[in-house]
Amino acid sequence: MISLRTFRASLSSPCFTPLITVRKYASQTPGNPMLEVFNRKVKHLQKDRAARNVEESRKVDYLKDEVAMRLCERLLDIKRDFPNVLDLGANSCNIARAITSPNLDSSMPEGTITPPLSKKISKLTCVETSHALLHRDENDPFNKEIDIQRDVIPDLETLPYAPNSFDAVLSSLSIHWINDLPALLAQVNTILKPDAPFIAAMFGGDTLYELRGSLQLADMERRGGVSPHVSPLADVKDVGSLLGRAGFKMLTVDVEDIVVEFPDTFALMKDLQAMGESNAIMNRDSAPLSRDVLLANEAIYRSLHMEEGDRGIPATFRLIYMIGWKEGEGQSQPLQRGSGDINLKDVLEGGDFNRP
Amino acid sequence: MPGRTRPVEKIAKASAQCSVEVAAYGKCVVADYNSVHKDMCAKEFMRLKNCYLAASKKG
Repeated sequence: MISLRTFRASLSSPCFTPLITVRKYASQTPGNPMLEVFNRKVKHLQKDRAARNVEESRKVDYLKDEVAMRLCERLLDIKRDFPNVLDLGANSCNIARAITSPNLDSSMPEGTITPPLSKKISKLTCVETSHALLHRDENDPFNKEIDIQRDVIPDLETLPYAPNSFDAVLSSLSIHWINDLPALLAQVNTILKPDAPFIAAMFGGDTLYELRGSLQLADMERRGGVSPHVSPLADVKDVGSLLGRAGFKMLTVDVEDIVVEFPDTFALMKDLQAMGESNAIMNRDSAPLSRDVLLANEAIYRSLHMEEGDRGIPATFRLIYMIGWKEGEGQSQPLQRGSGDINLKDVLEGGDFNRP
Repeated sequence: MPGRTRPVEKIAKASAQCSVEVAAYGKCVVADYNSVHKDMCAKEFMRLKNCYLAASKKG
C-alpha cells in the first residue's frame, strides 16, 4: 500500500521528465520467485495470541500432544543415540514432553517400565516463530529432564543452522504452514549429518473436510459465493516426491486419521483458534465469518455428518507421517528393481489375477 | 478473560435451543447440495434466525 502511494507521488512531481532513457529487457524477478499461499505474519499473530491465553491454549493441546507421542514412537524403532536433535516448529515443545514421558513404547507388554526417550537424546533444540508459544511451558517439570534450547526465529522457512549439525530433525504439526516446502526440506537435508533421519508429522489433504464442505455450502446458500475458510494442505501422494526431490533416501510415508468429536461446530472452531491453527491463507476474507454463515454452517454440518443418535459432530484430522534419511556412507540401500526372488503374491496370499 | 462470554459462545448457546429449526434448514440445503444457490432455503433460514434471536434475548 505504502509503496503504491510513494510511486504515485513521484509520478505527479514536476521533475518527472527523465533526462537519460535507459531501456531494459523485461526480466524475471531476481531470486527464486515463489507462490505465497499463507500469510506468515497472520500465522505468527494467531500463534502468539493463542498462546498468551495460557489456560485455553493448554486445554487444546490434546491433538498436538497425541501426534507428538505417535511421532516419537517412530523414533523408538531406530536403535541408536541422538546427541543433537532439532525440533522444527516446536509449538509449545510438545515433542519434548513426549520424549521425557516414560513408557512410550505401547508395543511392550503391560507393566514393563521402559525409560523415556530422552535418555537417548542429549540435547534438544526447539525452534519456533512465536515466542509466547515456545516459552509457554518453560517452567514445567519436563524441562528439567532434558537439555532444551529454545530458539525463536523470525521465519521457519530459513533455518539459521550450520550444515551437518544435527543427528535427527523432528517436526510435529508445523510444516503444513510452510509456503515453500521443497526449499525447507532441502535445508533440513543440509543441516542433517550424513545418514541421519528426518521424521515429521503434518496435517494433510482431507483434514477437516467436513468443515471445508459445510462452510462452502453455507457460504453459497447465504452469500451466493465461496471464499476459502480452510487452508489448502499437501496431499499424501505429493509428500513422497517432495522428500525425494529434497535428496532424502529410504522414504517412508504413512497416513493416519484421528477423528475428534465436538459438541458443535462452534466448539470446533473455537478450539482451532485456541490452537493457533485458524486459517492464514493469503487474500482471505479479513472480516470474521458472519453470524448468518455460522448458523447456516452449524445446521448443514449437522445434517451432513452427524450420525443418528450421536450427541456430537465428528471432525477428521488426517496426519501424514514421513521419514527420510540423508544420504550417508555405509547406509543400507534399497535393492535393485526386479532383483526380488520372493513373489509378494505368495506372501500376501491374494490377488485376483490368474496365472498365465 | 474471565467473566466475559465470547460472542461465539453466545451463538452456540442460543442455537442449541433451536434444534428443530437447525435440522429443518440443514435438511433443506443438503437435499440438493449439488446445486446450492443463494437464498435457496431463505424461508427455513428465517425461521432458524427468528428462533435464534428469540433464544439469545432470553439467555
